[in-house]
Amino acid sequence: MGSIRSSVSQSTATATATATAGAQPASAVPHLHLATSSTRRPSFGRLLEGATPYLLVAPLLLLIIVFIYWPLIYSSYLSLFDWNFVKPNKTFVGLDNYTRLIDDPRFHRALRGTFVYVLALVPIQVILPLVLALMLWPIRKAKAQTSYRIMLFSPTVIAYSVAAVMWLWIFNPLQGVLNKVLATFGVERIHWLSDRDTAIWAVIAVATWKTLGFHLLLYMAALEAVPNDYVEAASLDGASNWQIMRSIRFPLITPTFFFVLVTTVISVNDDVFGAINVLTEGGPFDSTTNIIYYLYQQGFKYFQIGAASAVSMLVFLTTVILTWLQFRFVERHVHYG
Amino acid sequence: MASTAASTMVPRTMSQKRRDQLGRALLHAIVIVLCFLTIFPFFWMLSTSFKIPTEIFTKDIQIFPHTPTLRNYPNAFRTFPVERWLWNSFGIAVLTTLGKLAISVPAAFAFSRLKFRGDKLLFAMVLATMIVPGVVTVVPNYVMVSRLGWLDSWTGVIIPSLPATAFYVFLLRQSMLTLPQDLIDAAKLDGSSTMQMLWQIVMPNVRPAIAVVMILSFLGAWNQYLWPLLVLNDFESKTLATGMQYFTSNQDSAQMWGPMMATAVIATIPPLAVFALAQKQIISTFVTSGIKG
Repeated sequence: MGSIRSSVSQSTATATATATAGAQPASAVPHLHLATSSTRRPSFGRLLEGATPYLLVAPLLLLIIVFIYWPLIYSSYLSLFDWNFVKPNKTFVGLDNYTRLIDDPRFHRALRGTFVYVLALVPIQVILPLVLALMLWPIRKAKAQTSYRIMLFSPTVIAYSVAAVMWLWIFNPLQGVLNKVLATFGVERIHWLSDRDTAIWAVIAVATWKTLGFHLLLYMAALEAVPNDYVEAASLDGASNWQIMRSIRFPLITPTFFFVLVTTVISVNDDVFGAINVLTEGGPFDSTTNIIYYLYQQGFKYFQIGAASAVSMLVFLTTVILTWLQFRFVERHVHYG
Repeated sequence: MASTAASTMVPRTMSQKRRDQLGRALLHAIVIVLCFLTIFPFFWMLSTSFKIPTEIFTKDIQIFPHTPTLRNYPNAFRTFPVERWLWNSFGIAVLTTLGKLAISVPAAFAFSRLKFRGDKLLFAMVLATMIVPGVVTVVPNYVMVSRLGWLDSWTGVIIPSLPATAFYVFLLRQSMLTLPQDLIDAAKLDGSSTMQMLWQIVMPNVRPAIAVVMILSFLGAWNQYLWPLLVLNDFESKTLATGMQYFTSNQDSAQMWGPMMATAVIATIPPLAVFALAQKQIISTFVTSGIKG
């Protein structure tokens, strides 16, 4: 299913929801008075008009309940059972599926991978593009900007799995262009994807290629949104370019910084799934696996539906906690322009 | 603009100006290297797709094909049912886009322009789905879809992915809220029903937002991976994003890389074409909303 990143706008969504709900009482229950004056008994047409809002939202809500809310409940139920998907009966095992994870070395490796992805990709996907954006700021008005942007953004619009296929060819140990380029510098052949020490970095490289330009553009847009008045006032006071960057621009783009940070932490492991599955299938020796890939293998390779459901509940709870933290701390402690 | 304001404060000498120019040149050089690294995998895929096997497995680096060939494209279609995958990707992406529009436009209209009992609660229910990662519902949805007999079908891929539209509903609602109340009132005075109002007044006026939603959901559906990977097990029912994997089973053969890269080219053309056609809107929507395809 599409990976839609929830955004800073979530909070604005709820804010505007309350603000605007009262703003259009006029549009409520349109021309009901016309119907009352023309008929005594409630006519079919009138009933239909009253029900219209509900009919309009019904398809969406029905689908949301059936394919998002109900699965959430059903998943927590399945996590308490031992079931292999084909057995006619599910066996109730209480919290066994959860406690068994604690003893599963493969789960430990999945957790380790999950943290490696986060720890490696936070500096690479969150901080590096910020540094680049601040560096590129002086040349933002250059004629080549549009071409730069199109090129840097292009990996964002293609599928992770297809991106991984392109990189599979680049990483090929015998014929891949990467090893050939390195060979000209005298570097010996590296088995990028089958070496335990390099495989996860190959996946991380694909994830970086896929996201760096996008994050760079996010930061550039945030920099552009900084009000010019502030900058002009500061420069009239004799602030240097560097001082302006440090004391005005950077504080004002901290919301974007935290947004990129939180969404990276939340979604990076989800994002790399396609790359893992194409490049390494979690291997070698589970060195590139993560919690999402572990869930996939438990559920759809070993048909441990209970265990997979337990993992999905853990993923859900973690996401809820991280989102809550985002609202509770991040949004309060950052500067808004 | 700000930096020019700052620079006029201090009179500049020639050497300072030259240093500035040098600095800019250096920055351009850095971006150009970055752009080159970003574009290279695309270029390499394209170049390989036009190479004959003996030019694919070489001793040295061969940037361009010496004897360019189109053979890899028909070969790809001969090796695997790529035309079926292409058709599946296309059909699923188009129908998902239409389905998402069909459920999100009316809902956005109701949530922005109509008042009804429970509207705030229902809207909150829609927005709350944004914190549920897709992977969390994958196991129970798979159980449900297989019971419904929807495995290996477009229906099985499309229907469960339709409700992931909270962000689109939000986007459309924001756009509908900006419409002037007079417009709605005038329609009401003309005696048009709520449905007519939506169809004749609201929809034509929020075309840009609808276009954005269409583009985003097309890209999302074309690129989706995990869900179709689970639902579509049959060889012929795969999409391009999920079917490409069959090529990777034979990586030691020079015969395989050409068709594989040709298929990758086919899989990247539609999203890149959509991007080329609407790059300004796509970049600005992605950037302001922080979403990814």
